[in-house]
Order: sequence, then C-alpha cells, then structure tokens
Amino acid sequence: MTRYLRLIRIFTGATVAAQLEYRANFVGAVLASLGQVGVALLGIGVLFGQPGTTSVGGWSFREALLVTGFYMLTEGFIAVFVQPNMSRIAEAVRTGSMDFTLLKPIDAQFNVSTRNLNVLRAPDILIGVGLIVYAAAALTVTPGSVVAALLLYASALVIVYCIWLGLSTTAFWFVKTQNVTELFSGVFGAARFPSTAFPVPVRFLLTFVVPVAFVTTVPAQALTGQLGWTLAVASPLVAAALFVVTRLFWRHAVASYTSASS
Amino acid sequence: MTAPRLRATGRKVRVLFSMQFALMAEYRAEVVIWMLSGTLSLVMMLVWMAQAAAAPGGMVRGYTPADFATYFLSTWLVSQLLVVWVSHELDYEIRQGVLSPKLLRPLDPFWQHLLGHVSERFIRIVPMLALLGVFTWLSGARYTTHWWAYPAALGLVVLGFSARFLWEYTIGLLSFWTDSSSSFQEIVWLVYAALGGMFAPLAFYPDWVQRIAVWTPFPYMLGLPSQLLAGKATLAQAGQGALILTGWLAVFWVVRVTVWRAGLRKYGAVGA
Repeated sequence: MTRYLRLIRIFTGATVAAQLEYRANFVGAVLASLGQVGVALLGIGVLFGQPGTTSVGGWSFREALLVTGFYMLTEGFIAVFVQPNMSRIAEAVRTGSMDFTLLKPIDAQFNVSTRNLNVLRAPDILIGVGLIVYAAAALTVTPGSVVAALLLYASALVIVYCIWLGLSTTAFWFVKTQNVTELFSGVFGAARFPSTAFPVPVRFLLTFVVPVAFVTTVPAQALTGQLGWTLAVASPLVAAALFVVTRLFWRHAVASYTSASS
Repeated sequence: MTAPRLRATGRKVRVLFSMQFALMAEYRAEVVIWMLSGTLSLVMMLVWMAQAAAAPGGMVRGYTPADFATYFLSTWLVSQLLVVWVSHELDYEIRQGVLSPKLLRPLDPFWQHLLGHVSERFIRIVPMLALLGVFTWLSGARYTTHWWAYPAALGLVVLGFSARFLWEYTIGLLSFWTDSSSSFQEIVWLVYAALGGMFAPLAFYPDWVQRIAVWTPFPYMLGLPSQLLAGKATLAQAGQGALILTGWLAVFWVVRVTVWRAGLRKYGAVGA
C-alpha cells in the first residue's frame, strides 16, 4: 500500500513537471473552464430568470446552484484526473505500448488510472468548490450533512471513474473509443440540473440506467438534508458494484490482449 | 467567368465533393455518435417541459410543454446542420505542418474543408431525420403546416452555416499565432449557443441581452429558423434575418481572407 502511495507521488511529480513546460497553455485552459461554468450558469440563470419562477423541480436557486457546483467539480475531476489517463488507453492499445504497462511489477489498472494528470484544468475544481461554498452559505447546513455529502460525493467519484474506465476498456476490442466517452459527456450534461427538474421517465433513466443523478443531485441533497435513506444507501452500493464489475471487465480485457500486430 | 473556367471550377467542385463524401462515409458511425453527443438542446427541452408542466396554468411565458418540445427539437435540428469542426482541423494542420503540402496546390485549402463539411451533411441527414422522428413522437412536438416556413428556414440555415464556417475557420487560423485556439472556439460557441437561443427562446432573456443580440448574427441562424419551424415567426422576419446574415457573411469573409494572408506570412512550416 505504501508502495502505491509513493508511486502516486512520483507519477504526480513527473506529470506536473511535464506540464509546467507548457505554461502558455494555462490561459487557454482558463478560457475553457470559464466556458464550462458559463454554460452551466446560463442554464439555471435563464430558468430562474423567468418572472414568477422560484423553484425548478422543487429546488430553490441556491439549492440548484449547489448542483451546478457539484457538476463543475466533477467536470474538473474528470478533466484533471480521469480523462488524461483514460484517453491514453486506446492509444496504448493501438500502438502496442500497453505491453510496457502490463510488464511493470505493479497493478496495471492502477498504473493506467494514475499515471497522468492535467493540472491546467484545476481551475474547474476551484470554481466548483467556490460555487458550492457560495450556495451553501445561504442554506442551513449541519456538520452531519457535510460529512454525508462528502461520503456520497466520494462514491459519486468512484461511479464516474468506473463508467469512464468501463467505456475506455472497450478499446481492447474496438480501437476507437474516444467517441464513446463523448457520448458519456453528452449524457452527463444532464447532471447540470437536479434530477427532479426532468420529466419522470427521464429522471428514472438518469438514476438507474446512466446513474448521473448520484453524481450531482444526491450529494447536493445530502448537503441540504433532503436526502431519503434509499438513495443514500443506493449510491455506495452502485459505486461498489460498478467498481467490482469494471475490475473484472478490465482483467478480462487484459487477458484477451494480444498486443499490436497486423 | 468564361465558359471553360466555369467548367473547370465545376469539375473541381465535383471531384472535391465526391472525395470528401467518400471520406465522410467511412466515418459514418462517428457521425452518429457526434450527433448524439450534442445534447444541450435536448437537456434544456426536458427541463423546460417539466417546468411548464409544473407551472400554474401549465405554461411558462405562454409556452406549453408541447411548444417547448417543438422549439427545442427545432434548435436541435438546426444546430445539427450548423455543426462545424474546421477550427480543430486547422489547429492540427498548422501545428503539425500538415498544411505545407496543401499550400503547393493551386487551390485555397478553404474549399476542401468547406466541401468536407457540406458532404458530411448528406451523411448526417438520414440518421438525423430518423432521430428527429423518434424525439418528436416521444415529446409531442408539432411543426408548422405553412409550407413556406421550410424553404425559408433552410435558406437561413445555409446562410448561418456559411457564416459559422467562416468565423470558425478564422478561429482555426489563429493557430498560426497561439496554441489555444480551441479554447477561443469554446468561448465563441458559448456566445453562439446563448444568443442563438439554445438555452431558451430569445424572448426569455433580459431586455438588455435581447437588444445586444439583435445586432449579432446568432439569433438569425439558430433561433429564427427554429421559430419558423415552430410556426412562431413570419416570412418578413425571415427576410430581415437573411439580410442581416448576408451582411455578417461579407464581414466574416473579409476577416477570414485578411487573417489567412497575415497567417501565411507568419507560417514557418512545422514549428511555427
């Protein structure tokens, strides 16, 4: 375990050092972050800007802003930690450099999941945290609900990671998978809004078929103390189940890997 | 233009089109996935429909859930026809030096990119209309029964696509100077989506935003054709929109040519 922690430190140092070589890209990354938060804020801004509108799907403006905050935070998490690693899996399978990863005396899934970071997109995370703090400041939040939100958000991050890993692992069979993750980003766009803001059939899809409701709505509900027991228990269960399934899927994929050759 | 020159141009267009069409046909699976990943209109549609259904009287600003479905499915359709990715291609070509061999040809690379985008529309249209049919059936959208609205909307879409292609091309050309052109592209997209009416019909925005928006090309390329399809805009409005878009087209064309000439002087093959 300490070995893996030490490896994370080495990986982080190496990837940050590599990125600081391209400091000029930071301006572009900040623009991209502003674009992201702009889309999210415009969406709820126009909804609440209508005369007579005080709630969307039963959520007040500050509560909905909390969801937007979790959305930005998750976008940041994906851009910084998940996407830079997962997008390389397909490339490694295609070129055969996955061989080197599999030969190393550490867990291959750990290696492909932690090797890279995109620190340039860290502003997304800061914006997300800022939005959450700003929104929560006007709501009644107890220490207990903060702990519950943190735990449920941790399980949300596991869910996001597992979905990305599962989609990226298909690269072992279908070489082009970048597009599949595009598809996930498309569905994830719905997580900008509380899941109750959608018509009932769609709400069901967003909770049980593509579990994005667990990523932003459930932690926000936990923070405001409006979360029912069923969803609070379901979130870690979904996360654990997804983790086991993607782990098995990954091992199955690696077992059928035959390296790159014509 | 004399007759032989005209014939030569026609042949170039035909060759480029069939080449690009064959290329895009190879990417048909990707075209469908790109189509499905542009979900903003659909997400906003669902939220507004639920919002109208929950509102007293079942309406928000006079829009019933079915009206919202009609409007947003129309913006989805129009935005699918306005998709432009040329700035990413230019960014790649300029940074990797792939542009160099293309400069040797006696033809501005602009035309190859343009015909690539146009031919892609012909691949896109079949799955797009099928999806539109499914979405319409699921959401209860109703399009106008006035036949003139359809050619008018199509005309605005053609003008709007040309305008967007030119500004995206110009953004792509900024790669001659910076590595961050794709970030500018995202910001411009945001302005386009917001003022075009992808978040809500333009009338839902504050007055000062509407006053600014009418001077930009965005409402006439996205919101106006959608309102035409929904039966909420007149032919006179369409004509006015077409005039404004044509004016912007001229501006974008001049800017594109100017930036292209300046960029070529700056370009040093790979390593620019």
